[in-house]
Amino acid sequence: MNWYGFFSVLRREMKRFWSIKRQTILGPLLETFLYISVFGAALGSRIDTLDGHSYINYIIPGLLLMAIAMNSYANNSASLLQQKMMHAIDDQLTSPVSNTSLLAAFTLGGFFRASIITCIAFVTASFLTDLPVVYPLLTIVSLAACGLFFASVGVLVGLLAKSFDNISFYQIFIIQPLIFLGGIFYSTSLLSGPFQTLTHINPIFYMINTVRHGMLGTSDVNPWISLPVIILAAMAVVTVNLILFKKGYRLRG
Amino acid sequence: MKKSGKLALDIKALEKTYGSGTHALRGIDLQVREGEFLGLLGPNGAGKSTLIHSIMGLVMPSGGTAKVFGHDVVADYQEARKLCGLAPQEPNLDWFLTVEETLDFHGGYYGMRKAERKTRISELLEAFSLTEKRNVNGRELSGGMKRRVVIARALMHKPKLLILDEPTAGVDVELRLELWHYMQKLNKEGTTIVLTTHYIEEAEQLCNRIALINQGQIIDDGTPIELKKRFKKKTLEDVYLTVTGREELTREAKLA
Repeated sequence: MNWYGFFSVLRREMKRFWSIKRQTILGPLLETFLYISVFGAALGSRIDTLDGHSYINYIIPGLLLMAIAMNSYANNSASLLQQKMMHAIDDQLTSPVSNTSLLAAFTLGGFFRASIITCIAFVTASFLTDLPVVYPLLTIVSLAACGLFFASVGVLVGLLAKSFDNISFYQIFIIQPLIFLGGIFYSTSLLSGPFQTLTHINPIFYMINTVRHGMLGTSDVNPWISLPVIILAAMAVVTVNLILFKKGYRLRG
Repeated sequence: MKKSGKLALDIKALEKTYGSGTHALRGIDLQVREGEFLGLLGPNGAGKSTLIHSIMGLVMPSGGTAKVFGHDVVADYQEARKLCGLAPQEPNLDWFLTVEETLDFHGGYYGMRKAERKTRISELLEAFSLTEKRNVNGRELSGGMKRRVVIARALMHKPKLLILDEPTAGVDVELRLELWHYMQKLNKEGTTIVLTTHYIEEAEQLCNRIALINQGQIIDDGTPIELKKRFKKKTLEDVYLTVTGREELTREAKLA
């Protein structure tokens, strides 16, 4: 294993997002903070409790999930497409770094960026409210599994995409609506029958509720079923990516 | 550099057919001995870049084999790539990296340790007159400077086989001569070089063997003198025009 090679590609990925940190770190942080302040602190003060928790505490797990998901995806899809477009990726593709190491480094690049944002958002949120973390291990593992899933989806879309329009399409028309309709801001118990059913077929609903269960100790799903499913889903996308990297799909002619 | 008996590059029946149906390589056979300076001459679309990209792993061959110092470029790609350095036709510098970082990251990809990278970077910055530009971002450099960085990057890990894809295309005379001297020096020190170029005089001046490629096939190869004799032409340019099917443009045809 060429560890130096792997760490160099990973270092390059981190260098990329760090060199434009206003856009990649500060922007998403501000966005998360605004959600917490507006929906949680301002509007939330008008709502009594939801499933026995204050409204601000109820929405924070979902907002953390949204931070890790959106940033993992955005980083990896954009970085890979950008490198393909400027052909800078050729320097890595012609090097002795293995396909597996390349994939791991590209995936972890976005995962680390999203983890930094999520950690800072968590610390900031804990200053605003008395934030409980009932099952710390479940919280960390579920956030990490969701982050890995979206980081891998980002790599996959970055591979398939031919333009930034493709990347935005998946983000604006698929990922973002699924996250918003997955129950960040409300409990499914508030929805009528058909909408409840629709929410239950949204995979992100299970992700949000697994993280929520880790932090609040209660949720709309059984985390011991949803967590393994999230991990399996992440592994499935990783496997697809690995096959595509080994084939050189859209990377090598 | 005296050629050894060892094969630096051994290509047999190499084929590449793209998804669009284009046959870019049609059974290429080519051997390059260690220490040779081989020129690959051919018109646009002849298959030069596809051949180079197949060796470097940017293109997956459809058939045949290519070996670098005995290592198959597909089955044993990590070992094969350790021994190769590529300076591509277009300066593909990373927008987010300075000149120094470009060399540093490249060295890292090849498993070089930090101290080793630091020493090598200083050597190359000096050799390519880039020391003052070390902290400048790649995208802010002039075309000539970018070209220097791309060649320096290809040499960072001290490859035994250096592949230069039209390294002097579009550069001024001064830089072209500088690069010629540097390539000759490298070859004398033992680096095997494969050079693709459109400049006939460049191939004649630098290379001890020339392979003529057209429509995805190696038409012939030999020293410039051998090729002129074989094609019964006075200049290498006329040999090239004959091979590429443009005999009407040769000096002899014009005089007739």
